[in-house]
This record gives sequence, C-alpha cells and structure tokens, in this order.
Amino acid sequence: MLTFTRVTKLYGTVIGVNDVTVALGPGAHGLLGPNGAGKTTFIGLVTGQLRPSVGRVEVFGKPPFGNDRVLRRLGFCPASDITERRASPLQWVRYLVRLSGFTAADAAERAARTLEQVGLGEAARRPLGTLSKGMRQRAKLAGAIAHEPDLLVLDEPFDGLDPVARHDLVGLVRTWAQSRSLLVASHLLHEVEALNAGLAVILGGRLVASGSAEEIRGLIDDMPKEIRVRCDDPRRLARRFVGAASCSSLRVEGECEVVVSTRSPESIADLVAAAVADGLVVDAVMPADRSLEGLFARLVRLHRGIAP
Amino acid sequence: MNALRGTLASTWAVAGFQLARLLTPARVGLAALGMLFPAVVLFAVRRATTGPLERNFGAVLLYALVPEAVCMLGLLVTMCPAVADELERGTWVHVATRPGGRRALVLGTFLASVIWTTAVGLGALLLGVVAGGMTEPGGLIAVFGGLVIVSCVGRAALFALPAVVLPRRALVASVGVAVVVEYLAGFLPAVVNQATVSLRLRSLLVHWMDWRQRIPAQLRLIVDPQPVWVQCAAVVVLATVLLTLAIIILDRRQFPPSEEG
Repeated sequence: MLTFTRVTKLYGTVIGVNDVTVALGPGAHGLLGPNGAGKTTFIGLVTGQLRPSVGRVEVFGKPPFGNDRVLRRLGFCPASDITERRASPLQWVRYLVRLSGFTAADAAERAARTLEQVGLGEAARRPLGTLSKGMRQRAKLAGAIAHEPDLLVLDEPFDGLDPVARHDLVGLVRTWAQSRSLLVASHLLHEVEALNAGLAVILGGRLVASGSAEEIRGLIDDMPKEIRVRCDDPRRLARRFVGAASCSSLRVEGECEVVVSTRSPESIADLVAAAVADGLVVDAVMPADRSLEGLFARLVRLHRGIAP
Repeated sequence: MNALRGTLASTWAVAGFQLARLLTPARVGLAALGMLFPAVVLFAVRRATTGPLERNFGAVLLYALVPEAVCMLGLLVTMCPAVADELERGTWVHVATRPGGRRALVLGTFLASVIWTTAVGLGALLLGVVAGGMTEPGGLIAVFGGLVIVSCVGRAALFALPAVVLPRRALVASVGVAVVVEYLAGFLPAVVNQATVSLRLRSLLVHWMDWRQRIPAQLRLIVDPQPVWVQCAAVVVLATVLLTLAIIILDRRQFPPSEEG
C-alpha cells in the first residue's frame, strides 16, 4: 500500500526525513515520534503535498505527488484546526467532497450522511466557530472520509481533546480501520495503541523502529522506569534506596523530592512503605512519565548500534 | 470526460467558497467604497464644470476610473491572495491533497475574482454614469460594461502568476507587474505591447467610441487597429496562457509545514 525507498526530504539544509525505507501493507499503522521528529514531513510525502528530495515514495504503487488517481484514494485529516469559522460543518464537508470532483448533489448527500455518521447530524448547520474543539475534529474527520478513500491519514487527530471527546474519536477511527487502511501520526503511544495499529517510530527524521504495539511496549517494559516520591525528608528516603539492588539510579530534587530509576517498581513501593512505617511523611508517589522519551533515546542508541 | 467534469465541479466549488469568503462586512464595505469612488470623482468634476459632462471627456474619465482603477484594485484584493490566503488559513493542505485541487484553486479563485470584480466594476459604472449626468448613458454602459469584463478576465489571469510564484509577496509583485507590464510595456509602441491587456482595452475603447479618426496620429501608435474580435480573442489567448502557466507552476510547488498556518 505504501512504500518509502531510501527517502530523504530536505528543506534547504534542514532534513525533514532522512534515508527512510519502509513498506506498510493494508491495515492500521501508527507513526510515532516526539514533536519535530519528522512525522508531518512523512505524512506530507504520503499525501502528495511534498516530493522527496532523494528516493521514491509510492502509495498504491504510484508516486502520490501530483497524481490525481492516488489522491482520489486518499483521505487526509491534518493536525491544524479548521479556520473557516463562519462556514458550517455541512458547508465545509460539502466543499471538500466537491473538491474531490463530486457533483454538488452527490457532495451534499455524502456530506450529510458522513456528518450523521460522526455524530454531528444535529450541529451540521451551526457555524464551525460556535462548535467545541471535539466537534470540529469530528467535522475534520468527516471531511477526510466523506469521499470514501481507501487510505485515511490522520495527523495528531487527538491533540487538545478532552478525554470524552478523545474516547469518542478513537471509537470512530477504530470503526473506520476495520474496513479500510489507516495511518495515524501521534506523539502518544497509548493513542496509537488504542487503535490496534502496527507502529513505526520516527525520530530525528529517521525511522528507528517498527513492529507491533506489543513489541514496542516490550522495549519500554525492559527499560528502567522513573518514580518520583514527594516526602518531608528526601535524603533519608534516598539513603534507603541507595542500598537496594533494584535501584538503578536516583537523584534528590529540591527539598522534598526523590526521583528513583528502577526495573522493579514493586520493590520501590515496598521500600517507601517501610520508610513510612519508620515515620517518614510521604505526600505522593508517581511515575516521572518519561517512558516515551526514554524509549526514543533507547531506540536511537539501538539504531546507531550502541548498546542501550 | 470524467476528469473534465471533476475539474469543473471542483472549480465551481472553489469559486463558490471564495465568493462566500468575500461576503464579510469588511469586504462588502470595501466593494461599496470601490463602487462609490468613480461616482464621487465624476460628480465633483461635473460640479466644477457647472453642467453635464461632455460625453468624450466623461468617457475618458470613466475609462481611467472604472476598467483601470476600480477593476485593478478589485483584482489585486481578490486574486493576489489566492495561495497566500490558503497558507495563512491552514486550508492549503486540504486543497493540495485533493485530486486536481491545485488546478481548481487557480481556476476557482480566478472565476470568483472575475465575478466579484466585474460586479463591483459594473456597479461603479452605473453610479458613475448617473453621477456624471452623461448623455446617451445606455451606449456608455454597454461600451464600458464590455471593457470591465475584458479588464477583469485579462488582469485576473495576469495576477494569477505572482499569486503562485510569490504567494507571500503576491500583492507587491502584482503591483510591480501592473506597473511594468500594463503601464510601461503596454504603452510602448512595439511588439511587446501586443501581450498586454491595456493595449486591448484602449483599442476596444477607441473602436467602440468611434474615435479612430479623431485621435491624434501619435496616439494611434498605442492603439491596435485590428477588429474587435481580434482584441477579445487576444485577451482570451493571453488569459489562457497565463492561467495554464500558473497551474503548471502551482502543480509543482511544495510548501514546507512551517510555511503554513
């Protein structure tokens, strides 16, 4: 369905993607990477907005740039919000469907049907400027799928959504992915995991790993995790951690926090419980939540042939 | 056939959407000002000359004010931002990822620009003729209505090029093109002026106002003696060439994500 062969994209002297070779078959795929990793450039190359500086991009067996046949089979939902605040979702989606070459009558029928499908039937005639971000995201999704493309490409589709809107949109996209192909770019692993998608991890313009969500999750599980403990005497707690075999590293932050790195979070919980029993006042125990950055750093090291 | 039908559908879609975007209070107010401006000038001249304007003098003033000034300004405002507007609004990605979307953007914006500016030009013409108190207003309206349409078609296509070549500087580039091409090359008594809209407009004005025998010999050098159909066909050919060039250029353009929004 989608093939990159030694693809490099340069913006002057800045590299967008660097020597990427990947082949993705039909189905759902996630493109994972932190901000600035090259995801939007990758998506731009897939959706025919950009042409590779070196190498070859093929979607459905043809280069997508300037290729109407390929573009007709693509649906794209960009990361940016809809700025046409005066138009209604119905007008906006109808416009996009007509841009795909459908007649006015066909476009109106498809737009109304798709807006119903994404749950915007009642708000279809309200100006976009009066809708919530979640509703505008749905309108954007409707615009991307109303012409029934074979491949739907979503760039950061869940950014800025509250949990309820995010849950609803994940449900919609997952339903779509049951019958057609999907490529989702995101910097959040759990978003892509929720879609049961295969993963490609991009960093610094390079594809550093690809595989199933379980395989990528396995890499994270192998890594030391950081736990932050807030208490009244961090140095006293740190002394307990220093003697424990499960503690890989630790640091004291400020006057009331210890950050400990471990492969066995349970043993840290036991140590904290013992410290509390000794009279230490603990306010909070929480993950430092750097697992994804850690994963990316580890993947870069793996990619460069350095032992993690 | 299907491809042609698709292009027409998407072109109409863009034209309709662009016209809807123009229907804001600010844009409509600007258009109303554009319509009133020639009328105010002609009324002031009429007051200064104490009586109805002499027909030929009034026609020269109308020519300078409507097919030249009003149409030029209207087209600068509506055609130049064709691509820049999409980049600024973040809607370029939606256009660029649709089959034939780039073509439709050029043709649809051209169509919307011509429709909008022609309407403003015709409004300005009607008000100007009334304010100037000119004799035989019907004939003048027919002549200048034709000139407004020719001016809009030719110059909207001319401004399509800077709009796709230099989207971020399209307005400045278009003013430069207007000055250099239309008002410099267009007045040169040489082959180069054959490729300008201003030559065709002047020639049509002279022909339709029946001034051929009355204008001084020196002025005949900057007027084409060919018949009306040649002047109109020349504008159509020029517009087709310019729009084709604009489409070819935009089809090959890439805008990095950092240039959008």
